[in-house]
Amino acid sequence: MFASLLSLDYRRKRLLKRLPPGVMRDFYAVPFPSRSSDCRELEFAALDLETTGLNPQQDEILSVGLVILRGEQIELQSATHRLVRPQSDIPENSAVIHHITDDHAATGESLAQVLTELLPLLAGKVLIAHHARFELQFLRTACERHFGCRFFMPTIDTQEVARRTLERRNQSFRPQQMRLAELRERYHLPRYRLHNALSDALAAAELFLAQLAQHDLSRPVAVKNFLLKV
Amino acid sequence: MDVELIEIREFLAAHPPFDLLPDEVLDTLPQLLTVRYLRRGVDFPPEHGEAPPAILLRMGAVELRDDEGRLLQKLCEGDIYTGACPDTAEALATKGKCVEDSLLYLLPCDALQSLRQRFTPFNSYFEQSIRLRLQQAISQLQQSQGNISNLMSLDSGALIRREPVSIAPEASIRQAAQLMSEQRVSSLLITEQQQLLGIVTDRDLRQRCIATGTDTAEAVSSIMSREIFTLEAERPAFDALMEMTRRQIHHLPVTRSGALLGVLSATDLLHQHSLNTVSIVGRIRRSSTTDELVETAQELPELQLQLIQSGMTADHLTQALCAVTDALSQRLLTLAEEKLGSPPVPYVWLVCGSQARREQTAFSDQDNALLIDDALQPEHESWFAELARFVSDGLARCGFEYCPGEVMATNPKWRQPLREWRRYFSQWINSPEPMALMHSSIFFDMRPLHGEEALYTPLRDEVLAQCRENRIFLHYMAANALKHRPPLGFFRQFVLVHDGEHDDSLDLKHRGVIPVVDLARVFALSAALPQLNTQERLRAAEQAGALSRDGAEDLLHALEFIATLRARHQAEQQLAGEALDNYVRPETLSRLERTQLKDAFAAIRAMQEAMEQRYQTARFA
Repeated sequence: MFASLLSLDYRRKRLLKRLPPGVMRDFYAVPFPSRSSDCRELEFAALDLETTGLNPQQDEILSVGLVILRGEQIELQSATHRLVRPQSDIPENSAVIHHITDDHAATGESLAQVLTELLPLLAGKVLIAHHARFELQFLRTACERHFGCRFFMPTIDTQEVARRTLERRNQSFRPQQMRLAELRERYHLPRYRLHNALSDALAAAELFLAQLAQHDLSRPVAVKNFLLKV
Repeated sequence: MDVELIEIREFLAAHPPFDLLPDEVLDTLPQLLTVRYLRRGVDFPPEHGEAPPAILLRMGAVELRDDEGRLLQKLCEGDIYTGACPDTAEALATKGKCVEDSLLYLLPCDALQSLRQRFTPFNSYFEQSIRLRLQQAISQLQQSQGNISNLMSLDSGALIRREPVSIAPEASIRQAAQLMSEQRVSSLLITEQQQLLGIVTDRDLRQRCIATGTDTAEAVSSIMSREIFTLEAERPAFDALMEMTRRQIHHLPVTRSGALLGVLSATDLLHQHSLNTVSIVGRIRRSSTTDELVETAQELPELQLQLIQSGMTADHLTQALCAVTDALSQRLLTLAEEKLGSPPVPYVWLVCGSQARREQTAFSDQDNALLIDDALQPEHESWFAELARFVSDGLARCGFEYCPGEVMATNPKWRQPLREWRRYFSQWINSPEPMALMHSSIFFDMRPLHGEEALYTPLRDEVLAQCRENRIFLHYMAANALKHRPPLGFFRQFVLVHDGEHDDSLDLKHRGVIPVVDLARVFALSAALPQLNTQERLRAAEQAGALSRDGAEDLLHALEFIATLRARHQAEQQLAGEALDNYVRPETLSRLERTQLKDAFAAIRAMQEAMEQRYQTARFA
């Protein structure tokens, strides 16, 4: 079981020793939560990125939405939305999705600045995102480019949780049923207009609460039930 | 960026009471919230830490029950629960359960409190007193119907345009007529040492002097009307209208602190009202055939509509309509007597139910009965049968449907001499049977309309005295009064009924108006009060100590709100050319109106429960 969180925290400690002072060192200085912790005792950061495209090598982050969960409670006070100023023009085919125009994006901050604000908010928490590999890949690329450092943290992919649940029940499903909007409807969550980073982050956070609520909450529910395999 | 938490902001902005908050507060309000998700079957409210929250339902449904497991309330999207907050009006008790998967927004109670302190309209939503909320609701309802009718907001005194014109009783008729022409008035008061002796009008000059050939040199007192009804200046102009309509007079002396202020004429009131009850009643009085009456009666729906649109409350509306119905019935009776000849023995025509209570809307059913002198002989019966048939058919043609329960003078059972009526009441009161009593409660709302009133008064007094003495009868009446229950409130597009069932539409009559009418009847009978009108009964019961002041106020407000909503509903149906009914679909009510209705229901329910306790009705149901 190399894919255990224990090894993730082991990797964190090993990396920490080699890191110079700075944003990344501060981030890795906070221990990752234990895999056996009860979800109700943890803090989560639900995150969503809007980008100019799907390729983390070529495409750029345009906006970041984030909301913090304390146990089974979403703290809206923590809701954060940041626009990122891209290096190149925003392709039209992505602008129709996220509605961020060049003019709008020009009011944003540099990616390094946004990361510097973002990383302390993520430290010590569990990341939540829908189709989290996408967010992880973009964050990884961004951290490597701007801080020359790898990025990893314990992560819950709400899409993966949904897929595993259905697979466990031997239920077949179509890919579009795994989309955020469809899954939310399944759990009787309100319809949101998607593709705003903060709305999507909140949407994923609520979906996670609904998934958590499916467990027997009279007993501790270990976070490892939800974590993405690394 | 300005899109922060837009989904949540929009939701708040669309739901009372948050929609009452200014934009800049709504912009920051979402940040004060936390979000929780409770699965179906989970207890509500969820456990909280040191700071209890108010809870707004974003999705899902919650049932709240009291300690005995009775359903109190069912919350859905947009409903707010403040039961965990200190100082709220919410029922204390409550064990709740999510009956659907639910997404909740939690607002710390102290944050709610601070919003309440800063914003008055927002605060009034949480106002503790149902009474205050209902008062507000009634005035809002009236305002939404256009201008508040002048007749209700004006004192009678305010409509008096000039000093009274008067003359001494010994002056001649000619002098009186000269003075009236000089002063350009249509009526003249006859006074002696500031004392009002009588009144002479244009019509008196025509009918009692010119038409009869009386010498104009005679004293004016010979043609004056003597028993003068006067109205205090503080009474609303509406009351003047009602008195004129009922008494069929066109001039009403108005006094202030006992002193004559002036004369109010029907024309003065006419200026305040376009289609007016006085003029309709005047036409009814002049009609000489049923056909003419039918024609005039066709204006009733239009009259009802106009009165509602003028902002009249339901009480004033039904009083006005009842004045017209009374006039129609009276005229039909007179026409019948003209056709059949004078009655073989004295009788009195009685109206029952809503007409007796003066709570009729245009085109209620007709409920009536005949009380005949004990000298009645078998050969007289056909005269009374024909009278009843003539009046009842006439009313039906005027739009008042035959009573489905056959409570009409055409039914021999309700066309009886005094001794039979005594026997009926004695049986109902002294050996009550639940079913029989249920059908007879209509006879405890009864009013003489035409004929020998003296026949009825002793019967009424006997009945009232017996009612008060007979506890068992009162127990049964109380049990009857609790047959119609107001709903708990609303749940989505449904009406939430007592046992947790849902109705598609709200029957404003049987679930709102009737419960109050029934309660008031028991209060009145228990204290032997002669009043019939529900509002008058409640006020009199309060005076007599049969009902607490708060209880009376609550019921009055609840009734007024529900009845006015009902009148408005019927006006809308009329405008849309639909048949009139009492059924309101919840989705057509605003969220505010739902809340206000829920308050009204709660007020009625509280009084029903008090009556249940007092009369131990469970044993008599």
